Amino acid sequence: MAIQFVATELTDDERALQQEVRAFCESHLEDGSFEPGLGMMVARSKELSLELGRRGWLGMALPTEYGGGDRSVVERLVVVEELLRRGAHLEQHWTADRQSGPVINRFGTEEQKRRFLPPICRGELCFCIGMSEPDSGSDLASVKTRATKVDGGWTLSGTKIWTSNAHIADYMIVLCRTGESDDAHKGLSQFILDMHSEGVTVNPITFLDGTAEFAEVVFDDVFIPEDLLLGEEGDGWHQCTSELSFERAGPERWISPFLLVELFLREYGSSLNPEARSFLGSSVSRWWGIRQVSLSVARMIDEGLAPSVQSAIGKDLGTEFEQTVVAGLQQLVDLEPSLSSDRLFHRLLARAILISPSWTIRGGTNEILRGIIRKGLA
Amino acid sequence: MIDSLVTETADRALRAVATFDAVQSAEERRWSPEIWDAVASIGLPWISVPEGAGGVGGTISEAVAVLVVAGRHAAPIPLAETGLLAGWLASSAGLSVVEGPMTVVPGRGDDDLRIVDGRLSGTAHRVPWAASAEQIVALVDGHVVVVSPSAGVITEASNLAGEPRDSVTFEAAPIVNMVPAPDGVDADALRFRGALSRAALMAGALGAMTELTVEYTSQRRQFGKPIGSFQAVQALIVKCAEEAALVDLAVQVAAREADRGEARFEIASAKLLADEAARVATRAAHQAHGAMGMTQEYTLHHLSRRLWSWRAEFGDAVWPQRVGDAAVELGADRLYRAIAEGSASGIAL
Repeated sequence: MAIQFVATELTDDERALQQEVRAFCESHLEDGSFEPGLGMMVARSKELSLELGRRGWLGMALPTEYGGGDRSVVERLVVVEELLRRGAHLEQHWTADRQSGPVINRFGTEEQKRRFLPPICRGELCFCIGMSEPDSGSDLASVKTRATKVDGGWTLSGTKIWTSNAHIADYMIVLCRTGESDDAHKGLSQFILDMHSEGVTVNPITFLDGTAEFAEVVFDDVFIPEDLLLGEEGDGWHQCTSELSFERAGPERWISPFLLVELFLREYGSSLNPEARSFLGSSVSRWWGIRQVSLSVARMIDEGLAPSVQSAIGKDLGTEFEQTVVAGLQQLVDLEPSLSSDRLFHRLLARAILISPSWTIRGGTNEILRGIIRKGLA
Repeated sequence: MIDSLVTETADRALRAVATFDAVQSAEERRWSPEIWDAVASIGLPWISVPEGAGGVGGTISEAVAVLVVAGRHAAPIPLAETGLLAGWLASSAGLSVVEGPMTVVPGRGDDDLRIVDGRLSGTAHRVPWAASAEQIVALVDGHVVVVSPSAGVITEASNLAGEPRDSVTFEAAPIVNMVPAPDGVDADALRFRGALSRAALMAGALGAMTELTVEYTSQRRQFGKPIGSFQAVQALIVKCAEEAALVDLAVQVAAREADRGEARFEIASAKLLADEAARVATRAAHQAHGAMGMTQEYTLHHLSRRLWSWRAEFGDAVWPQRVGDAAVELGADRLYRAIAEGSASGIAL
């Protein structure tokens, strides 16, 4: 059976929220007041994160008793969409808000929820994700980093790599081996690791555009207290794969180059030739369609369904499209891209060219996603 | 929300009659009374045509959902023409539909229909199933005009899928009915309706093509295993499935909005996405099928030849241009609202 999506649309309440966020963005994210970026990991602004927390726009779908908003995935989509399309700096809270918070809420102990969720909802905590290793990328179940049981907790040894935000993160949710099973998927566990623990070394890895987005993280007998085991010992693979499917089809998977197209239209406007107008038309329509996919997936999650295949489709369609947009724009404008240009459109185009290959890699390569989708079609 | 009873009924009826052999032979016979009778007997062609005009009522969304099912089965009948197109033109001009199949003059640049002294002259091109229709409805000089096909001379022609797309030449032919077209009923509005109908049929064909591709690549073995287990082939299957799902959703939203207003942006977008899918997904499906897909013995061509044909009907390259022009007109400041809100953003096509 082919995979289908059910059409949905914003409710009146959701539209009211959208208006509220738009008004906020107009007053807090004015043109020229910051250097906008493309996507979810542009730069961090602690002030913006705290302000979003004050407004109740972080941890939106988390329970109110832990500081969350008890709101829906669709409402979170509405908020994130408006921020991302303006290139806001969300790096400080991004991972915690999208991924770590929901995972702690789902698998964490009562004590962990009381400890971590309120500051996540306030925008105070930066999390990173410890999954990939030098020899484990798409084959995630082959991780070698190991936690060994000791008195009062565990000691962690090994190396994580290509970890976004490791240099600024307060905590990492780390996937590691705790058992001896021959089955690669068994014997894995997750921990909430304090990045300031003794024995944690963060070695920055320069990203293609020159930023310090990536790092290698080395664990040299790092002690993790017993109470920071996340979920069940040995259940890490299941927890981790459910984490990966969380909102895989969110706006960050299709909206990244939007600002670039907006600037393109502003700069070149009515002088666009028919070819450029057709490109613009195709892009706008496809964006509209992919956004409908994203909205449909969010609604399914809110209805208690587990649309992992639909999410994977959303991410594959969305990220491929993002790259098509960047390539298409590059073909339409006759300029040599430069990160130091005095024109924002040129700077962003240059950055897009450099970072866009990551869009179909991060969070699970599209090749791996297609394997998931293929299985769902059987 | 579409009543699934309607689509299930349509699916059951078409599954029984639109078999491989029936679709194949309809191409040679240029008409399949069996398939037509099966859907006509349960009123499917007249969904969305008001009961007062001889239809069965219902929404555009319901009519579109039935077209998706018809596309799945490659049903070679003027289902879209009878209801959403000719039925719409006739009923919006206060005329009633007839019992048999109706068709519509799509309105191409090389048509030269004109009315002189209350009679119709000129040639209409690419009229679907003109020879089998009871009535042809056309927009001529701001009028909804109804004529009988027998009043003209039909020159047979077909689209790539072997569906009749005839030319009809009239010479001072008698007119059955002629009424001034009401506001909002013009050649452009017909083009949007036609585009919606084709996008719906294409959504169905893309879904069926995906299922066929999944099935074939699971059964066909090479190098000792199903070819669908190779990652390169998987990518083709998934491409097809993704495009099918995207177009299906776009069509649902476009139809929903068409029930509320003109929905020009949504319809243009749905057709544009369907046209793109006809290119990308059909290529992927054929590639995954190898030589088997190139034969007329196997079902794939019933779908792929239709997708290539429907892509070109009611506009192809025109849709990206129109959306692009409208986006320029809307301006950078409101560009995102077109993406998020569609026609409600004020984007004017």
